Amino acid sequence: MNWSNVKLILHREVRDQLRDRRTLFMIAVLPLLLYPLLGMSMFQVLQFVREHPTRVLVIGAGGPAESPALVDGGRFAERWFSAAEKSRLLEVTRGDDDLERVARIKGDVGRAARQAVEGGEFEAVVYFPPDFARRLAAFRAKLAERPAPDGPPPPAAGKGRGKGEPDVPGPEIFYNTAKEKSQITFLRVSRVLDRWRDQIGRENLATSRLPESTARPFQWEEHDVAKEGGHRDAAVWSKLLPFLLVIWALTGAFYPAIDLCAGEKERGTLETLLSSPAERSEIVWGKLLTVMAFSAVTALLNLLSIRITGQFVMSVLPSQIGPPPPLTPLWLALALLPMSALFGALCLALAAFAKSSKEGQYYLMPLMMVTMPLVILPMAPGVELTLGNSLIPVAGVVLLLRALMEGNYLQALPFVPLVVAVTLVCCLWAIRWAVDQFNSESVLFRESERLDVGRWFTHLLRDRGDTPSPAEAVLCGVLILLVQFFMNYALGSTQLESTGFRRLAVLAIVTQLVVIATPALLMTTMLTRSPRRTLLLTRPPWGALPAAAALALALHPAAVRFGELVRKLYPISEEVEKALAALFSDAPSLWQLLLLVAVVPAICEELAFRGFVLSGLRHTGHRWWAIVISSFFFGVTHGILQQSIVACVIGLVIGYLAVQSGSLFPCMVFHLTHNALTVVGARLCPEALGRNPLPDWLATTGDDGGYAFTLTAVALSLFAAGVLLAWFRSLPCAPSPEEALRDALEHQAGPGASGFQPVAKP
Amino acid sequence: MIHVQNLTKHYADLERGKLVALDGISFDAYPGRIYGLLGPNGAGKTTALRIISTVLRPTAGSVSVNGCDVVTQPSQVRRQLGFMSANTGIYDRMSAWEMVEYFGRLHGLTDERLRARMETLFDRLQMNEIRDLLGSKMSTGMKQKVSIARALVHDPPVLVFDEATVGLDVLVARALLKTVAELREQGKCIVFSTHIMREVEKLCDRVAIVHRGRILAEGTLDELRDRHDQRDLEELFFRLISEHDARPTAA
Repeated sequence: MNWSNVKLILHREVRDQLRDRRTLFMIAVLPLLLYPLLGMSMFQVLQFVREHPTRVLVIGAGGPAESPALVDGGRFAERWFSAAEKSRLLEVTRGDDDLERVARIKGDVGRAARQAVEGGEFEAVVYFPPDFARRLAAFRAKLAERPAPDGPPPPAAGKGRGKGEPDVPGPEIFYNTAKEKSQITFLRVSRVLDRWRDQIGRENLATSRLPESTARPFQWEEHDVAKEGGHRDAAVWSKLLPFLLVIWALTGAFYPAIDLCAGEKERGTLETLLSSPAERSEIVWGKLLTVMAFSAVTALLNLLSIRITGQFVMSVLPSQIGPPPPLTPLWLALALLPMSALFGALCLALAAFAKSSKEGQYYLMPLMMVTMPLVILPMAPGVELTLGNSLIPVAGVVLLLRALMEGNYLQALPFVPLVVAVTLVCCLWAIRWAVDQFNSESVLFRESERLDVGRWFTHLLRDRGDTPSPAEAVLCGVLILLVQFFMNYALGSTQLESTGFRRLAVLAIVTQLVVIATPALLMTTMLTRSPRRTLLLTRPPWGALPAAAALALALHPAAVRFGELVRKLYPISEEVEKALAALFSDAPSLWQLLLLVAVVPAICEELAFRGFVLSGLRHTGHRWWAIVISSFFFGVTHGILQQSIVACVIGLVIGYLAVQSGSLFPCMVFHLTHNALTVVGARLCPEALGRNPLPDWLATTGDDGGYAFTLTAVALSLFAAGVLLAWFRSLPCAPSPEEALRDALEHQAGPGASGFQPVAKP
Repeated sequence: MIHVQNLTKHYADLERGKLVALDGISFDAYPGRIYGLLGPNGAGKTTALRIISTVLRPTAGSVSVNGCDVVTQPSQVRRQLGFMSANTGIYDRMSAWEMVEYFGRLHGLTDERLRARMETLFDRLQMNEIRDLLGSKMSTGMKQKVSIARALVHDPPVLVFDEATVGLDVLVARALLKTVAELREQGKCIVFSTHIMREVEKLCDRVAIVHRGRILAEGTLDELRDRHDQRDLEELFFRLISEHDARPTAA
C-alpha cells in the first residue's frame, strides 16, 4: 500500500466535496439550521398542547350538600386544581343543565357517552349516577351514627366494604386513548376528581370524629439522588447523544460516499482513476478516509448544534435538565472514530454498487433499516451493558458510551476491549467488502438493466452454469429463511399447543424436507447444469469420512462448553428450555430421536448450505467469506438465537471440510456425529454417569445432572481438532476459477505467470 | 511494446445471455508506431483497450505491456501507460491545472519534474488559458486537451487512445491527431481505436479491422489494400463486415 497515493486521493476528494454545495449543506448548514428550527417548533407544539382547553360533559356531579361543589359555573371549581388558572383548561358542559340531552342519553348513558367522545363532541364524559349524591350522603350519615373513635374501626372505602355498609356507586369517565386530546382531558379530569374525593374523604373523617391523618398516617420526603448528583442530566443526555451520533455518522457518510462512487461513475472519472497507478485498495482507502472525515464532521456539528439548542429548550421546560457531563465530548469523539469508519466503509461498498447518484439514494433506507434496531436496542428499558450486549455491533458502542457518559467507569471498563474488538472486526470486514466491490468488474461497470421478470427467468435457465452463481446461492439462503418464517408463523399456535414428541417430530422433519432441502434441490435442478458438482456429490479423499467423524468427536467438549458460554451470555428463556428438554425426554426411543435430530438434518441441511449455497458463494473468489455466509444462513435457520450462534460456528468447521475435501459426505458425517453426540449426551449421560462417572480431570457432573467438561478436556479437544483440521488442510483443494484468480493476484506471480488463463463463468 | 495473445472477454448479459465481447484477438504494437483498431460501435475496441489498461480483466488469453502482464502485474502496467478514453473523465470541481497535477503526483513525479512537465504540456497543448478553469465550465475540446495532458503527464512509453476524437469539432480533432502523430515521432507505442476511416488512413502504421469481437483483417494499410484488392479503405471495411455478417455462424 502506497500511503502517499492514499493521501493524494484523500486530499483531492476532500477538496472536491468541499466545493460541492450539496455536501456543505448536509454537513454544515443543515445541523446549524435544523435543531434551532426544531426547538422553535417544539415550543409552538408544547404551547398549543398546554394552552388548548378541552371539553368535558359532566352529567350529574352532585356531592353531599355540605361539601364544596365539584363544578362551579361552567368549570370545575378552581380549588380542585394545583393552580387556579388551570381551571380554564377544562370547559365543562353540565348535562343536567341540558334537560333534553339528559333525557336523550338517559336511556343508554354508556352508548350516548361513547358516541359523544368518538364523535369528537366532547373529549371526555363524566357520568355521576342519579343517586350518587344521595348515597354518598347516606354513607356519611351512617358514619356519623358510629360510636366515638375508641369504638370499632370505621368502614374501609371502595371495594371490600363490609357487609351491611352503604354502597356508593362511583362516577364513570368515558374517554378515547386513540385521541391524544382525549387522553390529556382524562388526566386532567382524574386529577380534579382525586382532589374532590380527598376533600369528601376528609369531611367523612371529620364526621367520624377521626383526625385527617387517619387516612394518611404519614407523609414521605423525596430525595432524588440522580437530580442531586447530576445523574439525571447524564441519563437524559446519554440516551440522546449516542443515538444522534450514530444516526448522523451514518447519514454524514452516506451522501459523500454516493458522490465519491456513483457520482464518479456518472461523470466517467472512475475509469480514468482505475487506469492510474493507484491500486484499488489505495483508491478505497483514500475515499474511505474522506467519507470518514465527513461522517465525523457531520456528526460532531449535529451534536454541537443539538447540545446548544437542547440545553436552551430544556432550560425552559419544567424538567430543568442541566448540561451533559463534562467528559461527554471526549467519549463521543472516541466513539465517533470507529462508527465513522464502519459506516464509511459500508456506505462506500454500497455506493460502489450504485450506477448513478439517483440509484445510490435508494440504498439509504435499507441501510437505515439494518442500523436502526441496533441503535434503538440500547434505548429499550432495562437494556444495559452486559457481556452479551457488548458483543452486538453498534449497540455495544452505544451502551458503552452511555455507561461512560453516566460516569459508570468501573462498570464500563471490562467491556471496553470487547466492544473495541467487535467494532474493529466489523470495520475490517466492511473495509474488505468495500475493497472487493472496487475489484469487481460486475460492480464497477454494471450496466443499466430493465426490470423484466420473464427475461430474468429466461436468463437464469438459459445461461445457467455448472454450479450456481453467488446471487443464486444467496437467493436460496434467503428463500429458505423466508419459507421457514412463514411456516413458523402459520404453525406457531399449533406448536405451542402441541407438546407431544410425535407432533414435534413431524414438524421438524417437514421443516427439514420441505423448507430446507426442497428449495436447494429444486434450484439445483433448475439453475445448474451439474447437480453433482453443485451438491458436491463426489467421492471424498481417502480417510476423510473417519476423519470428519473423529473431528466431531474431538470438538465435542469444546462445542459443549461454547454452547454453555453462549447460554450464559444470552440466557435462554425457561419456556424454550423446557420445550427443548421435553423434545429429548419425550422421545419414545433413542433411534427415533437420532433420526430426527441427527440423520435428517445432516442430509437436508448439508445439501442446502454446504451444497447449493456454499458452491454458489465460492464464485465470489473468497472461500472464507463463502464459508462464513453459508454458515450464517445455516445458523439462522436454527431459529433460537443461542442455537444459531453455536450452529454458525459449527457451520464454519463443516464449511471448511466441504472446501478442503470437495465432497459433501464428510460434512454429513461430521454433522451427524456432532448432533448424535448432543442427543446421546442429553439422553443417556445422566444415567451412564451415575453408573460409571467420568474422570474428574475430564468432566464433572453439571447442575442439570449431565456432564460438564473441564478446561483440560476443552484444551485437549481443541488440540485434537487442530491436528485433524491440519490433516484436512493438507488435502488437495480444488479452487473455483475466481478463487484461483484471486490467489494468483495475491501471490503476484512474475512475468512468467502470464500464461494463467482464468476460465469464464457464464 | 504491447503483446496481445488470444484475448477473450465474456460478459453476462440479461437479455443476450453470454456476450462475447472479444473472441481470441491477437496483435502486437511497437514503439514509434501507431496501431489502429478500426471497427463499428460494439466491435470490442473499448473492451480490448480497457483490458490493456488493466481496468478490466480478460476472461482468457494474455496481454503484456513492455513485458508486464496485465493480470498479475497491473500496477507495473499502469505506470508505463497513458490511457485516454472517449469519455474524457474530467472532474467537474477541479481546475485543469489541479487535475493534471493530481495524476502527475499519482504517478510519483517529483515536484520539480512535475512542474516542468506540466509547463511543457500546457504550452504545447495551448492550455494556459484554461489553467484555472473548473471542469464543469470546460467545452468538449478543452476537456479533451486536459485529458491528453493527464495521460501524458508522466511521459509514458505506451499510450492508449480510445475513440479520442468522438464529439470534437474538426479543428480540435485535427489538433489532437497532430499531437498523436508527434507522440509517435517521440518513439511512443500507441494504440488508437476509432471508427473513422480517415483517421486511420492519416495516422496508423498498422491497423486491425475489428468486428463482433474478432479481428477480420490486420496489417499495414497497403498490405490490406493489396490483399483484398480494394484501394478504398471504407469500401474494404464494408466488404469485410458484410462478408462476416453474411456467414451462417455469425448470424
